[in-house]
Amino acid sequence: MSTPIALGAELLGKKYGGRRGGWALRECGFALPAGRICALVGPNGAGKSTLLALAAGLLRPTEGTLTAPAREDLAHVAQAKPLHPRLTVADTLRMGRELNPGRWDDAAALRVVEGGGFSSDTLVHHLSGGQRTRVALALALGKRAGLLLLDEPMADLDPLARHQLMGLLMADAAERGTTVVMSSHILTELEGACDHLMLLAGGRVRLDGAVDDLLAAHTLLRGPVADLAPHTVVDTRTTGRQLTALVRREGPVEGPWETSEPSLEELLLAHLRNPEGAAA
Amino acid sequence: MSTPALKGPAWVTVRQYRRTLWLALAVVVLAFAVIGGLRIWDAQYPDVRTEDGFWQLDPYNSGHHWLEGAMHSFSDCALAIPFAAALFVAGPMVAREFESGTYQLSFTQSVSPTTWLRTKLAVATATALGAVLLLSGAYALGWVRVRDSYSLLRDDVGPYLVLGTVLAAYTLLAVAVGALAGLLIRRTLVAMAATGLFTGVALVVMDAFRWDFLAPVTITGKAVEGASTLMVPEDGRMVDQGLIMADGRREPGWFCYDEGASGACRPEEPVAAQYLDYHPASHILPTQLIETGILLALAALAAFAAFRVLRARHP
Amino acid sequence: MVEYRIDRRSGVATYLQIVQQTKQALRMGLLEPGDRLPTAREVVEATAINPNTVLKAYRELEREGLVEARRGLGTFVRATLGTTAPADSPLRGELDAWARRARAEGLDREDVAALFTAVLAQHFEGDDEK
Repeated sequence: MSTPIALGAELLGKKYGGRRGGWALRECGFALPAGRICALVGPNGAGKSTLLALAAGLLRPTEGTLTAPAREDLAHVAQAKPLHPRLTVADTLRMGRELNPGRWDDAAALRVVEGGGFSSDTLVHHLSGGQRTRVALALALGKRAGLLLLDEPMADLDPLARHQLMGLLMADAAERGTTVVMSSHILTELEGACDHLMLLAGGRVRLDGAVDDLLAAHTLLRGPVADLAPHTVVDTRTTGRQLTALVRREGPVEGPWETSEPSLEELLLAHLRNPEGAAA
Repeated sequence: MSTPALKGPAWVTVRQYRRTLWLALAVVVLAFAVIGGLRIWDAQYPDVRTEDGFWQLDPYNSGHHWLEGAMHSFSDCALAIPFAAALFVAGPMVAREFESGTYQLSFTQSVSPTTWLRTKLAVATATALGAVLLLSGAYALGWVRVRDSYSLLRDDVGPYLVLGTVLAAYTLLAVAVGALAGLLIRRTLVAMAATGLFTGVALVVMDAFRWDFLAPVTITGKAVEGASTLMVPEDGRMVDQGLIMADGRREPGWFCYDEGASGACRPEEPVAAQYLDYHPASHILPTQLIETGILLALAALAAFAAFRVLRARHP
Repeated sequence: MVEYRIDRRSGVATYLQIVQQTKQALRMGLLEPGDRLPTAREVVEATAINPNTVLKAYRELEREGLVEARRGLGTFVRATLGTTAPADSPLRGELDAWARRARAEGLDREDVAALFTAVLAQHFEGDDEK
C-alpha cells in the first residue's frame, strides 16, 4: 500500500488499574490510511473512548505499540467536551492560538463557533451542551491538525447543527486531506460521511476496512433454509421455512437465494448481534 | 489579570486562575493598607520621655494598641499562606483538572504533560513567592514599631516565620506537595484535605524541633537557695534551666527551696551549681536557614515525585 | 451552479445521486459547457457527505466525457445532454397524453409512478451501473 498510515496499532492493549480494573482494550491491530473519514462504532463499553484517548496520547498503553502523529499534529475532542469553565469563548479560542503558535487558524475556528447563538464574551460555564460542543470542535479545527479524533462529537447537537458541523468537518477534510476518526453508537450520524469503518466490541477490533470493501465482501441472502458453506455466516434468522442471512462471501454465491448487498446499517447490526463470530 | 507579556501555556494558566491572582493581590494591598494606616495613626502620638530618661508610649496612643493587635492577628494569618497555597494547588489547580477532564484539553492542544505541570508550578510559585515577599514587607513595616511586645519578639513564632526565609520555604513545600497530592489523588476535595493535613503536620513537627537544630549556649552559676539567679541575656531565647548535681547530673526545672514543692532540691542532695541553656540572638538566622533547607529539600523531592507520577501515567 | 440534494434513505449510492443530479441539470439546461461544478469542499460543506464520494462522482462524470478537471481551477462542463427534454418535444407530448389517459382511467399518482418505474427498469436495465 502506498498511502501513508495516519494511525496504526499492533497488539495494543490498555488495562485500567484500581478496584474496577480490567482490560478496556486488548490485542487491537489496525492501520488507518491517511485521508480517511473513519467511523469508530461499537456498543457502550466497547473501548472506543479508550482507543481515542490512547491515540491522542492522553494515556499510556499497557501493552503493544501505537503509531500516531505528534501531539502538535493531532486534535482530540473528548466525549465530555472538557473546557475551562471560567474562560470566555473568546479566551478559549485565544488559548488555542497561544498553545499552537504558527499553526492556529482563527477563521477556521470562528466558522465553527458562528451559528451557535452565543457571543464570544460568554463564559464557557454558561454555554449549553451543544454550544460547548461547538467550542470544543472549534479548538480542534482551529488547530489544523492532520488527525482529528472525535469522541461522540455530535451527541449534544440538534439536527441542524449536526448537519452544519459535519459539513464543516468534511470541508476541512476535502481541503486539507485531514484524517478523521469519529466514534458514535448512532450509525445514521456517520453514514454518508464516513468511508472507513472500525467496529469495536469487548475491547477488540471486530471489523476494520474501507466501507465499500466491507459492503462488497458481504452478501445478504434470503430464501430456503440450506447449508451456507463455504461462506462465513455472520448472522442468520429463520422464520418458518425462510432463511435470512448475512454472510461474508467466499467466492460467488450459488443457490436458490435472493441476494443483495447489505446496507452499512445491516452489516453493523449483524456484527453487533454476533460479537463472537466472524471477527474480521 | 491582564498580562500581555505572557505567552503560551503561561498565558492560559494565568487567565484560568486570574480571579485567585486578583484575590492574592487584594490581600497584599489590604495588608499594606491596614498596617500603613495603623502606623500613621500611631505616629500621631509621639512617645514621651520620662524623667529618668526612658521613652514611654503616649497614654492616649490607642493606635499603638491597635497596631499590636493587628500584628498578633497578622502573625496568625501568616500561617494561613502555606495552607492557602497547598489547598489551591492541590485542589483547583491540579486535582480538578483531572476531575473535570480539562487536562485532556491541554494535552491535546500541543502542551506536553511535563510543560503543563511545569507551567502550573511556575505560576503558583511565582505568585506565592511574590505574595509572601510583599506580605513580609507589610509585616516588617508594622513589626519595627512593636518589636518589644509580648509574643512578637524576634524569636517568637510570628516574626521567626515571616521575617526571613522560612515562610517562603513552607509555601514552596506547600505548592510542591499540593501538586503531588493533586496528581496522586485526582479528587479535588480529598486532595485539598490531604495537602492541608500534611502542611499542618509539617508546621507542628518543625515547631517542636526547630530549636534543637543548634546546641544551646549554657551558662552556669552558684546554686542559691530559694531562687534562680541566672538571667537570659538580652534577646536570648531560654531553652531550659535547672540544677547540676555534684555527680554532674542535670536536673532540669529544679530549684532550691526551703521545703515543700516537688522538683525542689533537698538538703541531702549534693548540688553543685545551677545552669541555664539558651539560644543567643545569633542562632536565629542559622536556625531559619537550616529549617529552610529541610523544607526546600522536601519540596524538591515532592516536585520530582510529582513529575514522575505524571510521566508514568501520560506519555 | 448546481446544488446537490442528498437523500440518505433513497437506497441510491450517494455518488450516483450526484452523477444523476448533474446529468439532470445538464438536460434541463441548468448547466452548460464551460460552467464550473461546485468544488468538493463546497459540496461537502453543504451536504455533510464524504469528500471522496464527490470526487468519485466527478471522476465518473469525467469518464463519461461530460466534465473535465482543470488543474487548480476546478471541474468544468464539457458537453451537454440537452436533446430530449424541451417542453415542446414530441416525446413529451406523447407522455403528456399518456398521463392524461392514465388519470382518466382512475390511476392515482403512485400507480402511475410505479408503472413508469417498472417500464423504465425493463428498458434501461443495467444502464446506471458502470
